[in-house]
Amino acid sequence: MSAVPTTYSPLVRELFERLPHAGDLASGPGVVVHGEAMALDRGAWVRYEARIEAGRVAECAFRAWGCPHTLAAAALVASRMQGERVAAPSAFDAQGLAAELDAPPEKLGRLLVVEDARAGMLARAHALQSA
Amino acid sequence: MAGPGGSPIYLDYAATAPLDPRVADAMCECLRDPALQGNPASAHVPGRAAAARVEAARAQVARLIGARPGSIVFTSGATESVNLAILGAARAAPAGARHVVTSRTEHRAGIDACRQLEREGYRVTWLKTGADGAVDPAQVAAALRPDTALVSLMHANNETGAVNDIAAVGQACGERGIVFHVDAAQSAGKLPIDAEQMGVSLLSYCAHKLGGPKGVGALFLRHRPRPALQPLQFGGGHERGLRAGSLATHQIVGFGLACDLALADLAFESARVRALRERLWSGLQAAVPVLRNGAADPALPGILNVRFPGVEGESLLLALDGRLAASSGSACSAATAEPSFVLRALGLSDLAAQASLRLSLGRDTTEEEVDRASRLLVASVRRLRAVLPAGALERIA
Repeated sequence: MSAVPTTYSPLVRELFERLPHAGDLASGPGVVVHGEAMALDRGAWVRYEARIEAGRVAECAFRAWGCPHTLAAAALVASRMQGERVAAPSAFDAQGLAAELDAPPEKLGRLLVVEDARAGMLARAHALQSA
Repeated sequence: MAGPGGSPIYLDYAATAPLDPRVADAMCECLRDPALQGNPASAHVPGRAAAARVEAARAQVARLIGARPGSIVFTSGATESVNLAILGAARAAPAGARHVVTSRTEHRAGIDACRQLEREGYRVTWLKTGADGAVDPAQVAAALRPDTALVSLMHANNETGAVNDIAAVGQACGERGIVFHVDAAQSAGKLPIDAEQMGVSLLSYCAHKLGGPKGVGALFLRHRPRPALQPLQFGGGHERGLRAGSLATHQIVGFGLACDLALADLAFESARVRALRERLWSGLQAAVPVLRNGAADPALPGILNVRFPGVEGESLLLALDGRLAASSGSACSAATAEPSFVLRALGLSDLAAQASLRLSLGRDTTEEEVDRASRLLVASVRRLRAVLPAGALERIA
C-alpha cells in the first residue's frame, strides 16, 4: 500500500483544489460542441463542452476522470480554450502541458487524452463553422 | 490521533502505530540510565544490568503470544524475522525437502523471500485466497507434499485485514512434521495468539505496529519440536547463534513494554476499534456508493479496505491530503500507479484496486476522528464524482 502520493507542483495543486470550469455549461446563445477522449487502461477520460459564438470559443467546461494531473490539465486547457479561434486555434501539445504542470513522464499518456479531447472538440467546432 | 495544529487524522495504523508515550518514556529512561549502558552480551556489571532488562523484555514479548522467553529471538523488525524464518528454515531443511507453500497475498517480505528461494532452486506453491481474502486450510493441506519443507502464511493480511485459520493449518503441518511459519506483524497485540497451541513453528512480529519503536522485532521458535534454522548473519553468536549483532537494549525495553500494554488492553481495544471501524463503514455506506474489499469477519479489528466506484484513487488521496493520512491501493508511487497485488489477487480489476483505500484504526483513534474522517471522505468522493463524464460510472467499476 502507498501512503505517499506523487509530488505535485503548486499549479497542479491549485487547479486540482479549484477545478475551474468543471461541470456543464449553463444554457446560453451560440452553438454547443463536444470533444471526448478516453483511455481507461491509462487511467484518463476527458470530455469538453464549448459554446461557439462568432467563430470563437465563448465558454468551455469539462468533465473528467483521472489522476490529479489529468484533472488539472483538463481544467487548465478549459481555461485557455476561452476565446480560441476555431479556425486557427493556438498551438498545443501534451509535452508542453506536461512541462508546465511538472508532470512525471509516466503521466504523459494521460495528458495525451486531454490533448485528444481538445482536438476533437475543436475539430467538431471547425466542421460546424465550415458547414 | 490528530496532532496539534490541525495535523491529519491518522488512519494508517497498519503501516505503523504512533509510539506510545509510556513506551517512549521507558526507552528514554533506559537510554539515560548510566547503569544500563553496557553491552548485554558483556559479563561485567553494566553488561549484566542491560542483559537483565533485555531478558525482562524477552519475557514480556513472549507473553504476548503465549510463548516461553527462551523461544524468542530479537531481530531488527518483522521483515528480518520473516526472512530469517523463510530462508533460514528452507535452507536448514533436509536435502530432499525443497518445496515451500505460501500465498499470493503475503507481505512483500514473505513474497520476496520465497522468490529468493525459487532463484535458489526451491519449488514454491503460491496459493490463491478466497473472495474474503483468506486462505482455505484445506487448500494448504492439499498442497503439502513429501518434499515440503515449509509453509509460510500471514496470520492477518496487512491490506484487507483478512484472518487465516492458523490453528487448522498448524494442525495439518504438525501431523506431517512440516515447519509452519506465521507472519503475525499485523495481528500481534490485536488478536489473541497462542503460538504453541496454534501449532506454529516460527512466528514473526515487531514492535512498531503495536505502539513500540521501529527497528526491533522478534522471531518465535517453537520449543518442541524445535525447527531447524540457518542464520542469515554471522558475527558473535548472539541470540543463540541465530541472529548475530549487539542487542539494542532501549529498543527491546520499548518492545517489551508495548507488548505488555497491548496484551493488557487486547480484549477491550479490539472491541472498541472494531466498533469504530464499523461506525466508519456505516457512515460511508449511508452517504456514498462504497464497496468493501475483503470480509468484515474474521478480520483484524482495525482495518477497513474500501473502494468508491468511479473515483480514481490518486485523486482521492490528494483530495484528502493534509487532512487524512491513509494508504491507497497502489503498490508504490502513485505515478506508476501499480495496483495492489493483494487486491488484484482478490479478483479486483486494476482500476478497482487503484480506487481502493485502506483505512486502519488503532489505539488513539476516537469516535470524533472517525466521524470527521467519514465526512471528509464523503465530501471528497462526492466532489470527484460530480465531475465525471456521462457514462463513466458504468465503465469504471
